[in-house]
Amino acid sequence: MTISLRQRLSAYVILGILALLIVIPLIAGALTAFKPQIIWVSSPPIWIFQPTLENFEFVFIQRQNLLHLRNSLIIATGSVTIALILGVPAAYALARFRFRGSKGLLQWLISLRMIPPIVVALPFYVLFQTFDLRGTHFGLILAYLTFLIPLVIWMMRGYFVEIPSAMEESAMVEGYSRLQALRKVVLPVVTPGIIATALLNFIFAWNEYFLALILGGRDTSTLPVAAATYVGRARVEWGNLFAVNLIIMLPVIILTIILRRQLVKGLALGLVE
Amino acid sequence: MKVVLQDLVKQYPSSSSVAVNHVNLTIDNGELAVFLGPSGCGKTTTMRIIAGLETPDSGHVFIGERDVTDLASKDRRVAMVFQNFSMYPSMTVYENIAFPLQVLKLSKDEIDRQVKEAAGLVGVGHLLQRSSRQVSGGEAQRVALARSMVRRPEVFLMDEPLSSLDAKLRIQLRMEIKRLHQETGTTVIFVTHDQEEAMSLGDKIVVMDHGNVQQVGTPQEVFFNPRNVFVANFVGTPTMNMFDGTIKPNGGGLCVDLAGIELKLPDRFPGAGPGMPVTWGVRPESVKIADEGQPGDVPGTIELIEALGSRQQVFVRAGDKLFSAMIDALHPVRVGERVHLRFDHRGTHLFNAQTGLSLAEQH
Repeated sequence: MTISLRQRLSAYVILGILALLIVIPLIAGALTAFKPQIIWVSSPPIWIFQPTLENFEFVFIQRQNLLHLRNSLIIATGSVTIALILGVPAAYALARFRFRGSKGLLQWLISLRMIPPIVVALPFYVLFQTFDLRGTHFGLILAYLTFLIPLVIWMMRGYFVEIPSAMEESAMVEGYSRLQALRKVVLPVVTPGIIATALLNFIFAWNEYFLALILGGRDTSTLPVAAATYVGRARVEWGNLFAVNLIIMLPVIILTIILRRQLVKGLALGLVE
Repeated sequence: MKVVLQDLVKQYPSSSSVAVNHVNLTIDNGELAVFLGPSGCGKTTTMRIIAGLETPDSGHVFIGERDVTDLASKDRRVAMVFQNFSMYPSMTVYENIAFPLQVLKLSKDEIDRQVKEAAGLVGVGHLLQRSSRQVSGGEAQRVALARSMVRRPEVFLMDEPLSSLDAKLRIQLRMEIKRLHQETGTTVIFVTHDQEEAMSLGDKIVVMDHGNVQQVGTPQEVFFNPRNVFVANFVGTPTMNMFDGTIKPNGGGLCVDLAGIELKLPDRFPGAGPGMPVTWGVRPESVKIADEGQPGDVPGTIELIEALGSRQQVFVRAGDKLFSAMIDALHPVRVGERVHLRFDHRGTHLFNAQTGLSLAEQH
């Protein structure tokens, strides 16, 4: 298919406008993170100024958001890791084997994804109180797994279904057990899919606010919960808020850029070969 | 190695029909046996049971003297080539061929030697460093062949390995499989729905339908002496002319009445008796077209002519029946011409219409 120069130009113009719409608030926010308090809010906004790190210093040193960053990292990586360890084999089993109730199980798993977190928040709260899980890293990881494992299973099952089962069968006839076949021939093929799945799950766990607010304690607050503390009843501490927000956004942006090719491959896996 | 299937039965829980229905079969050591049948006839399931990829509900599989029924695939010493899978995508050609050897814990040099030998045999020696994306479909299937050979299996199983290739390549690889079989002398079981492929490859053809073995025989036997209506219909292109009729006495002998056409029966159908409902058939190759009629000929009108290179297929209408005849391309015919059909009685077949079984003498 050939695309004329005009079509290409108009596509770029449209995409450019869309990109700007998304990027401008981000840039404005990121800039605010570096503004001295006196010009956080000014009308018209000031775009050129002497950047300062005082907001970062305030939030991370004085308000101890470094601790919350650490909590976020522990909880996000922990829950994604466990979700992958449990979800990938489950997805494989659901893709390859039919057993009593396998179809219902699959539908039940997708229904878990549709539950708004608020529905489970209260029961979780009671359970967590009972089992002393409230305010622990493990507790939040456990809560996130409710949402992450179904997501892992649904994404990974899609990737596994696309792979001809003859691939493992061939390895099995050639002297390997099913587990060895899975490890040696199937997993290398779905690696981009695992990366895409891991990244989407990480973004969910990293950004999650509501459950972290309710189930986390003072010592296990995550960054999004910490960020919300800068939105006061009387006023919003814009510079401090955006300093935290920038740190929340950075890992996602960096990971997405690093894994860009794998991600696109993973999301497109099975669509085109 | 000899392969014996003993009363194999397999039914899938999701299906009401039986995939493999009491199959008994012996494939001799060094034989190239072809499982032939339409899709869903149980040929692939039977092969997968031999490979250990499916578990039979009952029955036994023997390879040589070993009962392998309860053995895992990896321990059966068979190799399998698949229809919709040829190369592990994350590996190069070399790594693909080396893959079955790695599990055997051989030395690097030994693996290298065997990979190169197998690659050379199937003509992919120059592609060893290519990735799976850099080889064509035909080359990838050659790699699969090489990979199946390196373990020196006792039985090769090939599940429609050529059906995703284009026609020319298919015929070329078919010849190479035959050559490899002749060189190695290993037992091969080959599954196909393509009866031409089956005829050209097989020492023995196993015709299957609805999970049942319909006939086992040489390509000549299944073509010239089909055991029942299904085999007669399925084997041979173009398909056999077949019509229903009844046996009648005729002078001293018998004739078949095809509702309007009466044909004298040769005496090689001892199973036929007066009044019996039958299916009569003749292969298009055994139908001659004559301008001048003789007693016993069937008059008709040419309705359609298909040119097929050195041959032409001529469709002739006689009453309510349409016969197809395969004749020499140089024989002058034209649509609308009145002609006489003459049947070479050695190419005619007669089946019991109720049981579908052949009424010819069985050899």
